[in-house]
Amino acid sequence: MKRLTDTFGFVGRWILGIFVGLGRIGIFFLSTLRGIAYPPSKTGLVIKQIYFIGHKSMFVIIFTGAFSGMVLGLQGYYALSKFGSEGFLGSGVILSLVRELGPVFTALMVVGRACSAMCAEIGIMRIDEQIDALRCMAIDPHGYLVLPRLMAALIAFPLLTHVFDVVGVWGGYAVGVKLLGVNPGAYWDGVYRSLEWQDIWMGIVKSLVFAVLTITISTYKGYYAGVDRGSRGAEDVSEATTSAVVTSSVTVLVADYIITSIML
Amino acid sequence: MTEPDRELIRVRGLNSFYGRKQVLRDLSFSVEANRIFVIMGMSGCGKSTLLKHLVGLKPSPPGSIYIEGKDISGWNHAQWNNYWLRIGILFQNGALFNSMTVAQNIALPLMVHTNLPKEIIEIMVEMKLHMVGLSGTGALMPSQLSGGMRKRAGLARALSMDPEILFVDEPSSGLDPITAAGLDELLLSLKETFGMTLVVVTHELESAFRIGDQMVVMDQGRIIAYGTPEEIRQMNDPRVQQFLSRRPDEEHRDYDSYISRLCKVKRR
Ligand SMILES: Nc1ncnc2c1ncn2[C@@H]1O[C@H](COP(=O)(O)OP(=O)(O)OP(=O)(O)O)[C@@H](O)[C@H]1O
Ligand SMILES: [Mg+2]
Repeated sequence: MKRLTDTFGFVGRWILGIFVGLGRIGIFFLSTLRGIAYPPSKTGLVIKQIYFIGHKSMFVIIFTGAFSGMVLGLQGYYALSKFGSEGFLGSGVILSLVRELGPVFTALMVVGRACSAMCAEIGIMRIDEQIDALRCMAIDPHGYLVLPRLMAALIAFPLLTHVFDVVGVWGGYAVGVKLLGVNPGAYWDGVYRSLEWQDIWMGIVKSLVFAVLTITISTYKGYYAGVDRGSRGAEDVSEATTSAVVTSSVTVLVADYIITSIML
Repeated sequence: MTEPDRELIRVRGLNSFYGRKQVLRDLSFSVEANRIFVIMGMSGCGKSTLLKHLVGLKPSPPGSIYIEGKDISGWNHAQWNNYWLRIGILFQNGALFNSMTVAQNIALPLMVHTNLPKEIIEIMVEMKLHMVGLSGTGALMPSQLSGGMRKRAGLARALSMDPEILFVDEPSSGLDPITAAGLDELLLSLKETFGMTLVVVTHELESAFRIGDQMVVMDQGRIIAYGTPEEIRQMNDPRVQQFLSRRPDEEHRDYDSYISRLCKVKRR
C-alpha cells in the first residue's frame, strides 16, 4: 500500500513538475514579448544576433545540407531504381528537404552551434549577477537579452533553412545525376513540378516555430541557471547548457511531428 | 540639493531567508538623505543580502522597508523602474558585462535611458573613468582588468547616471592603501559636491570611520551597534569592541579545541 502511494506520489510530482515548468517558461516567453514596448531599441542588438546565429552557422548548414542532399540522392536512387522510376528522384529529394530535413536539421544545427552558446552566455550573466545589474539599471533583462535573440532567430532560421534546402538539392543533383547517371532534365523537372507553395509554407512555419521554441528554451535555461537551488557555480551553467541542448533538440522533433500531422 | 536629516530609507524589523536559513534578523535603521551610511560586519553576516533588499533584488516582506515613506513591497513595475533610475549600485564582484568593453559598460545606461549624442556620452564615460582613476582604460575588456580595477570600473558604471542614492558593496576590497584612500575621498566628494546619499558596505575600519555619518555593525544577521562613529567607538558591547579592535575569535586561538575538532573530522 505504502509502495503504491509512493509511486503515485512520485508520478504526480513528476507531472506537476512538468506543468510548473511549462507555466514558468510560458510566463518567461510572455515577459519577453512585453519587452517590445520598452527601451532599449532592439535594432542594433538584433543585427548582432542575426550575425551570431546566421552568419556563424552558415558553414555548418552548408556542410550538413550538402551531405543530406547527397544521401537523399543515393538512397532515393537505389529505392526508386527498384521500380525503374529514377525519374522521380528530383521530387523525392526536394520534398524531403523542404518539408522535413531542411527545417529540422537547420534547427538542430543552430541548437548545437548557437543556442548552447546563448544559454551559457546568459547563464554566466546570471551567476555573475550581471542580470541583477541590468535590472537595477532599469533595463529589462528579458527585453535586452532574450527578445533580440528571439527576433534574430525568427529572421535567421527561415533563411538558413532555405540555404540548407538549396544546397541539399544540388547535393542530390551531384550524386543522382553526376554520379549515378539520372537524366538531369528529369531531375530538375521533378524538382519544379512536385514543389508546391504549400510545401514551402510548411517549411517556413516549421522553421519559425522551431526558432521560437529553441531560443525560448535555451535562454530560459540560462536565465534560471542555478536559481532554484540558490547556487552560483560554474556547474550550474554547464548543467543548464546541457539541458538546453537536449530539451531543445527533443522539442524540435516532437514539434515537427505535431506540425506535420496538422498541416498534411 | 536635499535638505539634511530627511529620512530616505527606513528599515523596520527586516527578516530575510534563503530557503529555511534565516540570514537577517529584525533589522531596523534609517538612512538620511545626503549622508554616508556605513554597514560593517564579519564576512557572511548578511551585508550583501541587506543591500539586495534595499535595491529590490530580493523581495522584502510588507512593512519592512520604506523608501521616502513608501512601502516598497507593494511597488509595481513602473515604480521600481522609477527607483532604479535614481540609484546606482556597485556589486561586490563588480558584475561588469563581460561581452562589452569598460567604456561600453559605463555607456550602457546612458545609451538606453537618454537621447544624448554619442560624442557627449563618450565624454561622460571618460569623466567617470577619470573619477575612479581609470582614465584611458575604456577600450579594455573586463577580463583584462585586475580585481581592484574591475571594482572601480563597476563604481564608474554605478555613477554613470548620476544617481541620487549610491549603494556600494566593499569598494576598496582588493585595493592598495593609496588607491583605497583616493576612493574614500571620491565617496566623500560625491556626498558633498553632488549631494548624493551613499550606503557603503565595508570591512575597512579606518575608512568606515573616516567617511561614515551613521553606521551599523552587524553580527550573524543582527545589528549589534547603530549610531554615529563616535557613539559606536564608545560602545561597551564586547562583540563591537572585538570587531573594532580586530581581535580574532577565541576559538581561533584555542589550539586544544582546534586539535580535538580535527580529530573528530577524522573519526567521522
Ligand atoms: N544565494 C544564496 N543562497 C543561500 N544562502 C546564501 C545565498 N547568498 C548568501 N547566502 C548566505 O547568506 C549569508 C549572508 O551572505 P552575504 O553575502 O549577505 O554576506 P556578506 O555579509 O556580504 O559577506 P561578505 O562580507 O563576505 O561579502 C551567508 O551565510 C551566506 O552563506
Ligand atoms: Mg558581501
